[in-house]
Amino acid sequence: MATVTFDSATRIYPKSDRPAVDGLDLQIGDGEFLVLVGPSGCGKSTSLRMLAGLEEIDAGSIRIGDRDVTDAPPKDRDIAMVFQNYALYPHMTVEQNMGFALKIAGVPKSEIATRVAEAAKILDLEDYLGRRPKALSGGQRQRVAMGRAIVRSPQVFLMDEPLSNLDAKLRVQTRTQIAALQRRLGVTTVYVTHDQVEAMTMGDRVAVLKDGLLQQCDTPGTLYERPANTFVAGFIGSPAMNVITGPVVDGGVRLAGAVLPVPRERLLRAAGDGGRVTVGFRPEAVELAPEGVPVVVNVVEQLGSDAFLYATLGASDDGDVLHTADLVVRTEPRSAPAVGETVHLRVREGGLHVFDPVSQQRID
Amino acid sequence: MTTLASAPEQTATAPAATPTRTRRRGARKVTSAGPLTHVLLVLTAFLSVFPLYWTAVAASKTNAELAGTPPPFLPDADLFTNIGRAMEEAPIGLAIVNSVIVAGCITVGTVLCSTLAGFAFAKLRFRGNKTLLGLVIGTMMVPTQLAIIPLFILIAQLQWVDHLQAVVLPTLVSAFGVFFMRQFLSQALPDELLEAARVDGASTMRTFWSVVVPVARPAMAVLAMLTFLTAWNDFFWPIIALTSENPTVQVALAGLGGGYVPDTAVIMAGTLVGTLPVLVVFVVLGKQIVGGIMQGAVKG
Repeated sequence: MATVTFDSATRIYPKSDRPAVDGLDLQIGDGEFLVLVGPSGCGKSTSLRMLAGLEEIDAGSIRIGDRDVTDAPPKDRDIAMVFQNYALYPHMTVEQNMGFALKIAGVPKSEIATRVAEAAKILDLEDYLGRRPKALSGGQRQRVAMGRAIVRSPQVFLMDEPLSNLDAKLRVQTRTQIAALQRRLGVTTVYVTHDQVEAMTMGDRVAVLKDGLLQQCDTPGTLYERPANTFVAGFIGSPAMNVITGPVVDGGVRLAGAVLPVPRERLLRAAGDGGRVTVGFRPEAVELAPEGVPVVVNVVEQLGSDAFLYATLGASDDGDVLHTADLVVRTEPRSAPAVGETVHLRVREGGLHVFDPVSQQRID
Repeated sequence: MTTLASAPEQTATAPAATPTRTRRRGARKVTSAGPLTHVLLVLTAFLSVFPLYWTAVAASKTNAELAGTPPPFLPDADLFTNIGRAMEEAPIGLAIVNSVIVAGCITVGTVLCSTLAGFAFAKLRFRGNKTLLGLVIGTMMVPTQLAIIPLFILIAQLQWVDHLQAVVLPTLVSAFGVFFMRQFLSQALPDELLEAARVDGASTMRTFWSVVVPVARPAMAVLAMLTFLTAWNDFFWPIIALTSENPTVQVALAGLGGGYVPDTAVIMAGTLVGTLPVLVVFVVLGKQIVGGIMQGAVKG
C-alpha cells in the first residue's frame, strides 16, 4: 500500500492544442478510495492512464509512495488495473488469466496456484477457474478482472469504469462488493466513473474534473453540501442543483418579480459585476409556500416516496427579462400541484448556495 | 372443481407449445434450401471437382484414347503405369520434397514476418508508421517481372542458382501478408488487451507471443493456406532460379511429356501426383481454416 501524488501532472495529446489533463495536483492517502468523476472528455481516464504508465506525462510528475514513477513503465509501478471492458485474455482460462502477471514475474507455480485460489475464493469464482471468458456472464467476467488485480497484491488498484458494462441491478450489487473488498484489502484505489451516484457511494473522497482541470476534491458529503463552483453544484446530486443568475436587489436576488433572500455579506461579495448574482438550491431544499418565487409546473414525476416538479421560472414583472430557467423541486407526493399550475417557492434555511456570476466560484 | 383444475393446465401448455413451433419453423427457414439452390450447388460442386477428375481420367489413359471421340470419362487401369513413366522422365519425388521444403519455409516465414509487421503497423505507435505501411502496400503495385533480372544477378553472384534458398529467401515476407494481418489485428485485437499485458508486466515480445498470436491464429491459418498454395504453384521464378536437376514440382512438370508430340497422359499423371500433397494439406487444415474465417468474420 502507498500514497499517490499527482504533482502538476499534464498531458497534451499530439495534434491537440488543449491539455487533456491540465496541471493536476492530487494527494491520495494510503489505503484511500479516491473516485475521479466528470463528464465525457474531462480527463478522468487520461489521469488514470497517466498513473498506470499507459500515457506519457508532458509536464509535472507522479509519485507512488516516495518513488517518482513519471517515466517508469507500467510493469515497474506495482499497480494493477481493471479495464472498462475487462480486457481478459480470450484464449486463457480464468485461472490462467488471473495468474498471468505472476507467471511473467517468475513466481513459482505452486504459489501462483495458492494465490489464484485465494482470490477465487474471495470473489466466489472457484467453480469457474477452468472456463474461458466467453463462457462467463458479464458479472463473472468483471469479477475475474478484479481477481486478476487482487492476486498481484499491488500497491495501487486502478479501475477504469469497471461497472459500466453491467446491467443496472448488477451494477448496484457489484458497487457495494467492490467498496467492501477495497475496505477489506485496504489497498489504495483510484476509481474512474462518469456516474456521480457511483462516485458518491463508493469513494472516501471524490475528485471532480472538467476540461482537464480539477474542480474540487473532497468527501462526498462536502461536495454535496459545499460545492466549490457551479459546475460541481450541477454535476453532483440527482436531480441536479437549480442554478440561476438574477439581479441583486435590497435583501436578496430578484427572480420572476419576487425576492429570494440572500445574506447581505454574501451579496456584497458576489455583486461586483453589474449587480447580478448566481444562486443555487437543491430540489429538496425548496418548499412550496403561499409567497415566494413563482414558477409554472410543466411536469410532475410521481416516484411514490417523492414527487418531482419540473417547472419554469417566468420573466419578472418589471421588464427585466431573465433567461427562462427550468427548475426541479421535490415535494410531498400527496400534495403535489397539478401541471400548468403556478406555485411559489421558498428556499429552506441553509439551503441556498451563492456563486460569483463571472468566475462561477462559491461565495460563503 | 374438475373444470377449474383442468382449465389452467390447458392454458399453461398452450403458450409453451406455440413458441417451440415458431422457433422450429424459424430455424428451418435459415437452414433449409430450395430445390433450385440445391441444383445450383450440385452444379457448382461438379464444376469445381471436374478438372481434378478429368486429370485422374487422363492420367489413366493413353494419348490415343484421349484423342478419341467422344473423350473417355471413366478412369482406366493404366494410372500407375503412367505415374511410373512420369517419375522416370522427371525427378517428381525430389520435386515434391523440394516443393514441401520451399512452400513450407515460405509459409512459416511469411506468416511469422507478416504477423510481426502487421502487429507493429496495427498497434504500435512509432514515427513514420503510415508512411512505411504505404511503402509496403506500394510494393504490391510493382510487377514481379520487373525484379527478375536484378534478382537473378544477385543470386548468381551469391552462387545460389539451383539452390532452394534462391527460391525461398526472396519471398519470405509478402506485402499482402503484412497488409492482411494488419487489417485483421486492427479490428480483432482490442488495445485494452495489450495494455492489460503491459500492466501485467509483459514485454512487447512476450505480449506478441502470449496475447497477439493466439488472437491472430485464425487469420494466420488463412494466410498460411494462401501462401502455401501460391508458393506450391509458383512457376516463373523457380524455373529461372532452379534447373531440372533440382526442381520444384512445377519446374519438374514443365519437363514432362516433351518431344515431338506432347504426352498428355504422362503430363496429367505427373500433375496428379504433384497436386496430391496440396489436397492433403487442405483436407487436414480445411476445417480449421474455414472455421477461422468464420470466427474472424463474427468477431470483426
